Amino acid sequence: MIKKGIFIFCTILLFSCKKEGCTDFSALNYNPDAQINNGSCQYHNVTPFNIITPTGFPNMIIPEDNPTTIEGITLGKKLFNDPLLSGDGTQACVSCHIHSANFSDTNQFSTGIDGLEGNRNASTIVNAGWNTSNFWDGRAITLEEQAFGPVINPIEMHNTWRNVESTLNGNSEYLLLFKKAFNIDYIDSNYVVKAIAQFERSLVSSNSKFDKFYRGEGSLTPSELNGYAIYNSEQGDCFHCHGTLLFTDNLFHNNGLDSEEPFTDIGLAEVTNNPSDNGKFKTPSLRNVEYSAPYMHDGRFSTLEQVVAHYNEGGHYTSTIDPLMKKLGVGLQLTNQELSDLISFLKTLSDEDFISEE
Amino acid sequence: MKNLSKLTLLISSLVLLTACPPKEQMQADHINLHFSHKVDTLTLIKDSLLYTNEAGQLYSIKNLHYLISDIKLTDEDGNTLQELVSEHFVSSDDESTYSLNLSDILLSGEYDNIEFTLGINSTRNISNLLVNETYHTQMFWPDMMGGGYHYMKLEGAFDNDSTFYNIHTGASMGNDYSITKSFPINLTSIENGNIHIIDINMNINNWFSNPNTITLSTDGIMGNMQRQMELKQNGTEDVFGIALSEIAICY
Repeated sequence: MIKKGIFIFCTILLFSCKKEGCTDFSALNYNPDAQINNGSCQYHNVTPFNIITPTGFPNMIIPEDNPTTIEGITLGKKLFNDPLLSGDGTQACVSCHIHSANFSDTNQFSTGIDGLEGNRNASTIVNAGWNTSNFWDGRAITLEEQAFGPVINPIEMHNTWRNVESTLNGNSEYLLLFKKAFNIDYIDSNYVVKAIAQFERSLVSSNSKFDKFYRGEGSLTPSELNGYAIYNSEQGDCFHCHGTLLFTDNLFHNNGLDSEEPFTDIGLAEVTNNPSDNGKFKTPSLRNVEYSAPYMHDGRFSTLEQVVAHYNEGGHYTSTIDPLMKKLGVGLQLTNQELSDLISFLKTLSDEDFISEE
Repeated sequence: MKNLSKLTLLISSLVLLTACPPKEQMQADHINLHFSHKVDTLTLIKDSLLYTNEAGQLYSIKNLHYLISDIKLTDEDGNTLQELVSEHFVSSDDESTYSLNLSDILLSGEYDNIEFTLGINSTRNISNLLVNETYHTQMFWPDMMGGGYHYMKLEGAFDNDSTFYNIHTGASMGNDYSITKSFPINLTSIENGNIHIIDINMNINNWFSNPNTITLSTDGIMGNMQRQMELKQNGTEDVFGIALSEIAICY
């Protein structure tokens, strides 16, 4: 009788001690000690951010493993603007990719945390989600891959990813933001670049004066229209490289900047090891070109007038020059008025909303 | 040695026997399309000033990009029996574009001709219609000159290394200069899994002759409708040819 009583007591005790909590492994508050699910599970909910394809643009290709979300973009923007990513905590992505300068650098060459200068002008990040490669020499295919570079580049942010991870994992705010965006408890570099890439994909410019004209919502002045015609003529011949509504062909060209070989910067050939790619650089988009001075891969031109003058003079021959530069030594022979009209048109690609957006 | 030969023969026979499935399991034939390019009898070597055109100009080829569309098999009256390819981009920058394995298209019966169009005919040559294709940004044709897409970009140097020509064909001012060609092939599919290789070859030098002698210059020709028509006429004449071969899986 006593034995039976002890048995019943123990059984009741056993059941009464079962811990309640969230037993779902996939939940944010999964409790490995809990034995009874008490309905308290909280799940990782992200808010999808649908990047709307502007009229006439291709669909943006977004990696399956990095869909854009409000949480991811918010985190990416914070990281983009945070000097914490650099070796001494003084420099952020935005230091060289300045928003008001179309996310490029107003200096010819950017200066890293150690006071060292690079040899190329910082690329713009306008409509970067449509890039088929990144950097002037195309060495990074995806934006995620691109974002790995500057953080550890000794002449740029000069940090190590191990150090970045250590810093971020010691920061309670970032731990929470990464948890919200990616449902992770430990921040590794792959998630840092994912967040930055999400933010960059959200930087869409498609509301310039030209866009409004293209959509039938506005008009261009006679000078701008004439510039548009020159741009799309074989005399001006801007469109072959800066065509479509992306205003880039996403390809690489030697546009006749120099006459001497070997090239001081071999560009694409650095990546392909193919001598026929010497001196070729990625075509930049001309959207917001008014704001992205200086121009060319090495920032040699400080004004749009200098840029169009270069083409109007025909450029210089080197062995890999693009055959589209077919007026070598002769030039395009545009009049001053035509050059002025062409620049007027280029300025219609300015998207004030994009440049001023917080 | 004699025994070895017998053994080899036996093994070969066994392989052949086992490689051929029973008749009821035979797969349909299919087509591999190849796109090849030469300059008369010379193979295409990029960036070499070694070709001579009808006008006597020495020239090189740096880039050859073109769109070929509406590739199909027809009967002797030109009726479509099998559509093969809607549009295909061929680029000298990427030799993987030189062939198309159409293994998803199963053949059955007899086909008299193969037909294709250099460029895109006017019903579909519309700006942004191919906006999601990888070649969209490279081949588009400005709206101000008629819109749509370049049919072909043939670029290089002539006379010397630093004088360039751009042969860009397309729907200049909206006029359709695409070139549709049809060639007899007399292809019979006996549904034994064979692969029919059809090579569509382009003799680049013939763009510049017959019936019109084209002289290369540094002037663009996109807005030059007379030159576009001359190139269409030359292209219709003898720029293209085809060659057939077959890989037999079973005998």
